[in-house]
Amino acid sequence: MNSRRDFLKQISGAALAAGITPLLAQTLLRAQAVEFPGEDDMILRSFRFVDLESPVEYFNTWLTPVPHFFVRNHMYEPSELDANEWRLSIGGEVEKLLTLSLAELSKFEVHSVVNTLECAGNGRSLHRPQVPGIQWGKGAVGTARFSGPRLRDVLQRAGIKPTGKHVMFRGLDEVPGKVPPFIRSIPVEKALDADTLIATHMNGSALTKHHGFPARALVPGWIGAASCKWLTEIKVLESEFVGNFMNPGYRFPNQPMKPGDTVKPEDTHPVTALTVKSVIAAPSDGASLKTGKVMVHGAAWAGEADVTKVEVSADGGSTWNSANLGREQSHYAWRLWNYEWNAGKSGDYTILSRATDSQGRTQPASPVWNPSGYLYNAVDQVKIHVA
Amino acid sequence: MWRKVAALCLMVLLVAPSLSAQAREKDQRRTNPTEELPAGPMQAKATTACTECHEARIILQQRLSKAAWTKEVDKMAKWGALVDAADRDALIDYLSANFGPDKPAYEPPRTADKIASGKSK
Repeated sequence: MNSRRDFLKQISGAALAAGITPLLAQTLLRAQAVEFPGEDDMILRSFRFVDLESPVEYFNTWLTPVPHFFVRNHMYEPSELDANEWRLSIGGEVEKLLTLSLAELSKFEVHSVVNTLECAGNGRSLHRPQVPGIQWGKGAVGTARFSGPRLRDVLQRAGIKPTGKHVMFRGLDEVPGKVPPFIRSIPVEKALDADTLIATHMNGSALTKHHGFPARALVPGWIGAASCKWLTEIKVLESEFVGNFMNPGYRFPNQPMKPGDTVKPEDTHPVTALTVKSVIAAPSDGASLKTGKVMVHGAAWAGEADVTKVEVSADGGSTWNSANLGREQSHYAWRLWNYEWNAGKSGDYTILSRATDSQGRTQPASPVWNPSGYLYNAVDQVKIHVA
Repeated sequence: MWRKVAALCLMVLLVAPSLSAQAREKDQRRTNPTEELPAGPMQAKATTACTECHEARIILQQRLSKAAWTKEVDKMAKWGALVDAADRDALIDYLSANFGPDKPAYEPPRTADKIASGKSK
């Protein structure tokens, strides 16, 4: 990949400047790596539980290859997963209880959705004061084509009773100690949306274990936590599921708050759809470039809305220029974008990117601080040196 | 001239071992993908309390005030972390001292890149 080659060139350049040969730099770079089959060149946020972040330089393809797609786990992955033994039960406020095998699930009509999946805590490390949780940089996000039956087709076979208002998902992840299980629910309207899936495939291949094999919920445009992995139970409920990961987890203050303040649980609401955001894939933060043309590029997404505009500033935000939006698009998917900037003079520059969406939302100049560090979407920036 | 050559040889002798030590340290990180908590009077007890469920790297990346560490320790104790009531304050002090907001950011490693090195796909 070009971006990786550029990255290695930069590393090699820095190594040469420091008197280290490029070969030695490569060796040191590789020696730092942790073996992790099927997960290539990912930032290791946690080995146990598995939490892996995509380096932003990989945000140069519309579909993120699975080995570069972020992985977020709250618990241990299931120790045993046998596709033949796996069952999905559908119960609660339904006319008829269902238990489906993978073969039975595969008989439902298959639907595909290209979706940008982002962890609610993506960008958490950029909040000040810092807040507890996995300290994601910018890369707990990726875009893939998810395929599988529509959740509504499965729910309609069971028949939702009029009392059914929320749909709960339970996965097979293994819970340590007295940690509350990772169970969450979504409102029935979103569950019945034509694009909400029980996904069995990702980019045309069966889900890998890290991504929820053999089946996961896929709730498009919403925070990743809505899309429960290793799905084994769907339960229709009369009201929102009551549990740690619905409350106090994954909630956002109703009113803007001062950084560092506390908020009462009753003054918060569940985090659902993603907000508008852009990330610069290149040039890398801290890069040294030569004067001349520089391709600034990246990705922008807006949850359930569409990205309508991405702007780039090369002067720290005084003036903005429209970026070109990539040809590939789909309702819940990010748009790639690029802007050719002429770096005429040597010096230090701050490059900014700012996205606007079809709901009229624009990325704020400063982050919207909240106690759990959710939905970070401040204008992105990289600092570079031109010589 | 010979002085220059001798100086160069000395530099090689001095620099080479430190580079190989650096490479060795990174090699160890490759074979042992989990981190360890820093030395201190509470290292052993913190290791027992925290790493039963998750690895030390999750702690190493936090930069929290003492008030925030207090909330975290109490939450984790509720969730099953083995923290003796007599050790609670010392554990909070240990975490606050090592992982406070003033410490530099933790630099995580990456997983091996098998696509670029042609080992897979």
